Amino acid sequence: MSSITLDKLFGSRVRVKLLKFLFRNHPTEILTKVQESSSKGSFSAQELSKRIQEPIDDVKKELSLLEKLEVIKKIK
Amino acid sequence: MPKKLRRKKIKTRKKVIAIDRISYSLNPNFEFFGELKSLILKSSPAEKDKMVRKILGLGRVKLAVTSGIFLTENTGLDLYDTVADLFIVGDDISKNKLRAFLVALEAEVGKEIKFTLMDKDEFQYRYGMFDRFIRVLLEGPHEKIINKLGL
Repeated sequence: MSSITLDKLFGSRVRVKLLKFLFRNHPTEILTKVQESSSKGSFSAQELSKRIQEPIDDVKKELSLLEKLEVIKKIK
Repeated sequence: MPKKLRRKKIKTRKKVIAIDRISYSLNPNFEFFGELKSLILKSSPAEKDKMVRKILGLGRVKLAVTSGIFLTENTGLDLYDTVADLFIVGDDISKNKLRAFLVALEAEVGKEIKFTLMDKDEFQYRYGMFDRFIRVLLEGPHEKIINKLGL
């Protein structure tokens, strides 16, 4: 399945990119040890914008939407 | 400097730090967490045709092998087993183009890519002497997206 299918299904390229990034960098039980030193699967809006190469405003918009749906959670 | 002004300055700086600290993480308690995960991770991380075209534009590319993260059946559990996600053999590779290509690819894939570049002579020498890196890569699960060496 190509990623364009997902973009169209979800209605947003940035949203799909964000989810892809988060799932690929989400520590599973097996990976936790490997990733312990670097990241624990949580990223700031700026960091996400840089990593997926999309404008910060778009990223923030999608983040607040995903948060409302409880797909992601905020960590302070 | 009057006292009032100084206090104001400190306050604004604190605010900036607070905003920076908010980070986001997936919520494992989301109702469709597992379903969404398999849907998202099932999609191939980068489109092959587009990738082949871009790699060919880098220089005289003889061989390009994808492995690890680029294999669609990879569910994200054994990503660390591979010696390289992308392996390119070629001559006269433009370093600037390569850098831009990797940055864009990493953004698309959403993960750091283990990348290796070799010129043709080095590859053939290593291939001939059963070099461990080459053997592990070509004996493990992989896909040759460009193959002009007849391997």
